Amino acid sequence: MLSPERLALPDYEYLAQRHVLTYMEDAVCQLLENKEDISQYGVARFFTEYFNSVCQGTHILFREFSFIQATPHNRASFLRAFWKCFRTVGKNGDLLTMREYHCLLQLLCPDFPLELTQKAARIVLMDDAMDCLMSFSDFLFAFQIQFYYSEFLESVAAIYQDLLAGKNPNTVIVPTSSSGQHRQRPPLGEASMLEGVEASQFSQCLENLCDRHKYSCPPPALVKEVLSNVQRLTFYGFLVALSKHHGINQALGALPDKGDLMHDPAMDEELERLLAQVPGLVNSATANPEAGCLPSRTPPRVGSPWRPLHHARKVDAESDGSTEETDESET
Amino acid sequence: MIPGKYRSVSGRAANNVNCGLHLVIQTSSLPEKSKVEFKLNKETPSFSGRLLQHDLERNYSSRQGDHITLASSSMPSFPILQRSSEEKILYSDRLTLERQKLTVCPIIDGEEHLRLLNFQHNFITRIQNISNLQRLIFLDLYDNQIEEISGLSTLRSLRVLLLGKNRIKKISNLENLKSLDVLDLHGNQITKIENVGHLCDLRVLNLARNLLSHVDNLSGLDSLTELNLRHNQITFVRDVDNLPCLQRLFLSFNNISTFESVCCLADSSSLSDITFDGNPIAQESWYKHTILQNMTQLRQLDMKRVTEEERRMASVAAKKEEEKKRESHKQSLLKEKKRLTINNVARKWDLQQHRISSIAPNQDRKVSDCPQDPSQLRGSTVSAFPEETGSLDSGLTSALQGLSVTDTHLVEVDGDTLSLYGSGALESLDRNWSVQTAGMVTTVSFTFIEFDEIVQVLPKLKIKFPNSLHLKFKETNLVMLQQFNALAQLRRVDQLTVDPQGNPVVNFTLWKYYVLFRLSHFSMQKINGTEVTQNDMIMAERLFGILAHVASSELPQYRLISILGDARKKQFRYLLETKGKKPGLVNEENSDSKRLVGENTNRATLNYTTRDFYNERLEEIKEKKKFCKMYMEDLVKEATEINMKNEALQKLWPQMFIELVRDAVIEIRNKNSYMKLCLQQITDQK
Repeated sequence: MLSPERLALPDYEYLAQRHVLTYMEDAVCQLLENKEDISQYGVARFFTEYFNSVCQGTHILFREFSFIQATPHNRASFLRAFWKCFRTVGKNGDLLTMREYHCLLQLLCPDFPLELTQKAARIVLMDDAMDCLMSFSDFLFAFQIQFYYSEFLESVAAIYQDLLAGKNPNTVIVPTSSSGQHRQRPPLGEASMLEGVEASQFSQCLENLCDRHKYSCPPPALVKEVLSNVQRLTFYGFLVALSKHHGINQALGALPDKGDLMHDPAMDEELERLLAQVPGLVNSATANPEAGCLPSRTPPRVGSPWRPLHHARKVDAESDGSTEETDESET
Repeated sequence: MIPGKYRSVSGRAANNVNCGLHLVIQTSSLPEKSKVEFKLNKETPSFSGRLLQHDLERNYSSRQGDHITLASSSMPSFPILQRSSEEKILYSDRLTLERQKLTVCPIIDGEEHLRLLNFQHNFITRIQNISNLQRLIFLDLYDNQIEEISGLSTLRSLRVLLLGKNRIKKISNLENLKSLDVLDLHGNQITKIENVGHLCDLRVLNLARNLLSHVDNLSGLDSLTELNLRHNQITFVRDVDNLPCLQRLFLSFNNISTFESVCCLADSSSLSDITFDGNPIAQESWYKHTILQNMTQLRQLDMKRVTEEERRMASVAAKKEEEKKRESHKQSLLKEKKRLTINNVARKWDLQQHRISSIAPNQDRKVSDCPQDPSQLRGSTVSAFPEETGSLDSGLTSALQGLSVTDTHLVEVDGDTLSLYGSGALESLDRNWSVQTAGMVTTVSFTFIEFDEIVQVLPKLKIKFPNSLHLKFKETNLVMLQQFNALAQLRRVDQLTVDPQGNPVVNFTLWKYYVLFRLSHFSMQKINGTEVTQNDMIMAERLFGILAHVASSELPQYRLISILGDARKKQFRYLLETKGKKPGLVNEENSDSKRLVGENTNRATLNYTTRDFYNERLEEIKEKKKFCKMYMEDLVKEATEINMKNEALQKLWPQMFIELVRDAVIEIRNKNSYMKLCLQQITDQK
């Protein structure tokens, strides 16, 4: 906890890096919002609950988009919450349109912007036939990449455009938020000649980007890995590869592996309980067969084998692959 | 001098032989057998009757025929007729030449006293050679082949002219027959009534079985009592009111279908007997009472006496008919207005949704296309029906009750359905609805209204229409599943219908399950017409159950309270705004909220705030956020300052400590002087 690196940073920057201030501000804001209610049971308890929920990742439920987007931890928590709540939809096998997924997102965040969902859908559909149906897992992983690394992706898009246009890859380009939007569509003339860009060139640019990027970005090693497998690649091809990469997913730490995506024994148990309460329900024997396979049925609610926040912290520290131990992950 | 009863046949004639020739042909000397019945050809002279007449005629003629010699004349075509002198004396004024196979009229010599001439049942084609019979009173040319009325101009005394069953096409050349009493032209091919206006003594006119298509040109027939127009093609009748004596009018078997086409009959005060059977008008339901109502002077209709009872019923029925017409006219006006309003609202809605770009000129044109008077409708901007304060169902005669119809919205209560078109209609929920009307409403239908606006009036709906169980939404811009959360605040919803038109949400695969899940406490029975099965409920729970669980148990306590508090606060705020604090309502509110919490807490946090409210709230929060930020910055500054000071102290402390120690040691080096110093200090302090 008292490692020398921590003390090396000036105070304010340190706090900012850990987004402590964001949470503090938000906490105080929430306190002000609900003065009357909270005053009933005490401010101290409020703060306890607040930070507990931050730890557990439930603080982003039904909050406004600006808050959800504010910190990487928030984003990861949101992804996790989305997975948790709508895993059943995916399990049911329904293929939904982009709009419907957006609707589901809006259930958790009322003002979630449509563009993000659209971008995520583009990744899945390779920028083609936007009305197509998508499976839950495809969408979820693409959405993860898009949402968690949105700023990074914008920069990558800009770089890609430049590479396509043949500009010098070593020029530093800092895209504005709006310009990234327009340049997402590669000019058809270019693309038709040769698909995408040189992987090695691209890789080098991305490395430079990661070095100086202040937003979070995927672990450079993994990015290199993705790019080393192919000769040339397109922008969306790259994104798809990112989204499907297990290592990146694990590094992010929000979602389980693709194979385990539909597994959540704790929630399944909860679901069974709820189903039993549906009025007039005859039997719960029609319940999902998976539940029957699990040997143990008594894991505590919190103690699911998956511990998200542990890893999230790791990714935040960009320049050092430190094995810094977080103090507490459990309340 | 012409006796009135043309039709009578009786033995009475023997007594009144002196008044001139009866139209009933009789002389006292004639035996019974040859009494000939001359009937004006009624519609249904029984065949047997006809045959009898025929027989009689035959007998008669056979008798007479013996005495007639038809000699050939000098003119090649005309035979000359001569009778023996006994005949002449015996039947000096009558001559019967029926069934003589005559093709032309013979020249009748030396019979200038003739008064009756009978040419029935021959083949005569032209009326000729009778100009010399200037005393003729009765001329019968029934059943010949005459094509044109002619050769009668000298017969100024003629009173009865029977030209039935010929081939006459036109009424003409009757100018000099001013004494004519009976004119029988039935069974011809006459298409038009004309050239009879001078027959001011004519009493009976028979034009049955002709080709008349209408009746007029009757003026001048000042004595006409009976007019027979059966079996023609008459569609309308005129001029009958100009006949001052007309008593009997027979119009059976024509083509009259409305009373308007014979309306002049109402003005004829003399008419007492009329027949319409065989006309289309006689099939109408309103036939009898309309005729009786309009022709109060009538004594017989279709050969049946008109009773007082019938007359009374006729007037009652006519009144009812009138009212019904008025009512249906009103209804159709109302319907038209409604349709226009709905069209108008639809257009506005489309504009709003940016679906069509052109505006004003289209609208005006469309409005003026309507069949109604356009200025009347365009000008109205307030509700057309006077339904102000107080109970609204006074004077309900029909089930359909349009309550408020303007150009921009429409509110309609139709039995158990309340329909609202256009956002302006939502204001109507504020009105004073009678308990009865409001209680009967079980279905509420919203069209062309933004769902967000509907959400705001749902509390009002809950109170004003407590029995509303079925909600229908069409063109209400339902786009998110979240919006269904808003329906949870209602008391109960049995059925939900979301029309795909204008509601994109229906395109989602999961929308029904979400509705069932979120509104599970309603135990809904039907969605969009299909029954909700147990499997549906299970699936809904399975799909979204975890969402509910997360939304309830994983939210921190303060969030739960704040979210629920928000919902409650909103409802409460509405109540306070509109009604003022009424204790009863407040209680209801509390119990409601308690129930809300009790029923399905785990879903209660899934709320819907309309976009506007949401943005409003975010705006409000901005201020607070700014303050918080500043506050935190101050705190952080303070904390960092303290931290800095702390760190600085940490750095400086060893040095300071050493100095402190050194100073102390130096001070105590000389014990004696130190003791003195301390004592000095103590005394100084005092």
